[in-house]
Amino acid sequence: MNVIELNHITKSFGKNVAVNDLSLDVPEGSIYGFIGPNGSGKTTTIRMIMNIFYPDSGIIKVFNGEQAGNLLDRVGYLPEERGLYKKMKVKELISFYGELKHVSNPSREADYWLEKFDLSNWAKKKVETLSKGMSQKVQFIITIINKPEIIILDEPFSGLDPVNAEIIKEVILDLRAKGSTIVFSTHDMSVAEKMCDFISMIYKGKKVLDGTLESIQKQFGQDTIRIQMEGGVSMLNGIAGIEKINDFGQIQELRMIPGTDSQQILSDIISKTRVTKFEIASPSLNDIFIRIARPEKNGGYE
Amino acid sequence: MNKSFVIAKREYRAAVRTKAFLISLLLLPVFMGGGLIVLTLFKDKIDLSDKKVVVLDYSGLMGEHIIKTAENWNKNNIYDDKKEQISPLYFIEIVHPDTVNPLQQKLDLSNRIRNKEIHAFLQIGVDVVHPHFGEEQSRIFYFAENSAVDNVREWLSNVINNKIREMRVVEFGVDPKKINDLFYWVGTESMGLLKVDSKTGKVIDAKEVNETQAILIPYFLIFLMFMMLMMSAVPLLSSVMEEKSERVAEVLLGSVTPWQFMMGKIIGGLGVSLTTSTIYVLGAVITLRKMGMSDVIPYDVLPWFFAYMLLNIIMVGSIMAALGASCNDSKDAQAIQFPAMLPIILPLFFMMPVIMDPLGKLATGLSLFPLWTPMIMLLRQSTSVTIPIWQPIVGLIGVVLFTFFCVWAGARIFRSAIIFQGKRPKIGTLIRYIIKG
Repeated sequence: MNVIELNHITKSFGKNVAVNDLSLDVPEGSIYGFIGPNGSGKTTTIRMIMNIFYPDSGIIKVFNGEQAGNLLDRVGYLPEERGLYKKMKVKELISFYGELKHVSNPSREADYWLEKFDLSNWAKKKVETLSKGMSQKVQFIITIINKPEIIILDEPFSGLDPVNAEIIKEVILDLRAKGSTIVFSTHDMSVAEKMCDFISMIYKGKKVLDGTLESIQKQFGQDTIRIQMEGGVSMLNGIAGIEKINDFGQIQELRMIPGTDSQQILSDIISKTRVTKFEIASPSLNDIFIRIARPEKNGGYE
Repeated sequence: MNKSFVIAKREYRAAVRTKAFLISLLLLPVFMGGGLIVLTLFKDKIDLSDKKVVVLDYSGLMGEHIIKTAENWNKNNIYDDKKEQISPLYFIEIVHPDTVNPLQQKLDLSNRIRNKEIHAFLQIGVDVVHPHFGEEQSRIFYFAENSAVDNVREWLSNVINNKIREMRVVEFGVDPKKINDLFYWVGTESMGLLKVDSKTGKVIDAKEVNETQAILIPYFLIFLMFMMLMMSAVPLLSSVMEEKSERVAEVLLGSVTPWQFMMGKIIGGLGVSLTTSTIYVLGAVITLRKMGMSDVIPYDVLPWFFAYMLLNIIMVGSIMAALGASCNDSKDAQAIQFPAMLPIILPLFFMMPVIMDPLGKLATGLSLFPLWTPMIMLLRQSTSVTIPIWQPIVGLIGVVLFTFFCVWAGARIFRSAIIFQGKRPKIGTLIRYIIKG
């Protein structure tokens, strides 16, 4: 069963078409990742799901019925831009949002989450005294305080250090395990790869990818070679059949020209240097993202 | 609890818990009645220093009379029963007018005034008893540093004019003994209306209505309503703008609808206004009762005051919240604030014409314009005049309908504009928001 369904959604701001005929389904209990470059329409799509923006055309269904704006107590929303009442005390603020979301004992819930996020000592401090990371954690608590059935997170990990990002990731996974559906947008492809059951990429307002990681990678075939060799990237000069080289220093990722024999490439490289690792693989999500978002710059080094 | 009320509770607490609220609670009466209080306190605090006046009497008829009157004044009118001085002593010096070089003489006297030797000098024309219109010799001139607002000028004017009238009357052959009777002025006292006591059925005699009372009560109520608008409805513009620019609005919209958000803010402001106005109204009622002036308290108008204030704050508050949602930063808000406040300020300019003629066409017309009904109709109702009962009822219905429209239109603008960043929408865009939602 899908908890969110978008059918042919279009939204324009003046002459700029932000979202163009977008359709997607978010299955219940899944972690659904929105990826796409800046300005691709991810936030606009999320805002339309939240009923903050109305689509110009198309239908949005949440829980197979109304839009999320009418079901706010069942949906948690973390906007991309963080905004909290600076003069309120931390616990008071969390309790306020708990009360707004009809949490039965907002104060107790606030204590629980503050403890979980290691913010108990800041409960009576004003929000304006918090660091950026702490504010983000507080805002995340506000989003999930009512344990919503759908949690929509716009860039939840941006600006967080690895420790705090890990804590939030654990809570997200825990909520999913308890039945929540998670929808989040991210620029971090490794997070999307590791966490998402389904991934949808929006580019220039249009959906360009949709499905599981495996199904997406299948679309691109096994056209990628990951290679480790003595002499590094310089050994690849003059090797035929390579469309693009992605140099990570210790390891290089090569995209083959369609129809090229990978064994021929391996043979050509071995003739020049000693190869310590050679793997034929599907392209990473990051590579797929770049292929789509920067098609004009494909080719050559990255 | 309804989400709007949760937001309202936060808004109310955020406003009431601040020091600024307590300070404004204390300062508001000072702003409201400051001028009146100062006027009352200092109205008897007149300058009691001796006043020496030089008289250039071209007529030769007034000088002696002024001296004698001043002497009588100094004997009888300087001290009150408690032997405290209440008026200055007047000393008159008669100087023969210089007909050869009058300007030089007046310049010398002016310099004496500048040197604080004398307070003023007076020039009485030769034809003052039987004046010819416009001629200088038919007029009286008073020269002083602050001659336009000088009690001595008024005193001298009375003294001289009384003497002129006496002289004219005597010339007509009237017995000088009857002059006092002739000029005795009988004032007309202003009275309210008689009414029947609803409990006893007895007729209650009318009470005297003074000018201060007739103006002060309407003034107090209107100014209080205006201040409540300024305290709770107008700040919504900057408050919503701040929440938008600091991105709090979008976080809130994850939990509430734009309608609940806007109404929560308005209800919060309404709570602050009701608290403040109740404190002031109760304070005023208790004070007046303790002063034995309970008959001047307009109990019948007070429910109207609160009803109009409530509607006015919702009406103006929704307009301000909508405009605040259309602003992106404080510059936008500042640019829009004054034009937005103008419709609220304008009724204050009509206060005096309405108080002077509460049943006139101007007062009636203005009071039926919904945006101004709360202030102008209340102003009319709080005067001692009885206005036709249909007018407040029609006015109230108009305000209720207009308030609904403002909330509806405001919510549509609020909803459309609260997330948008970038250039502030023009009026045409705002109208489009209202129409399309």
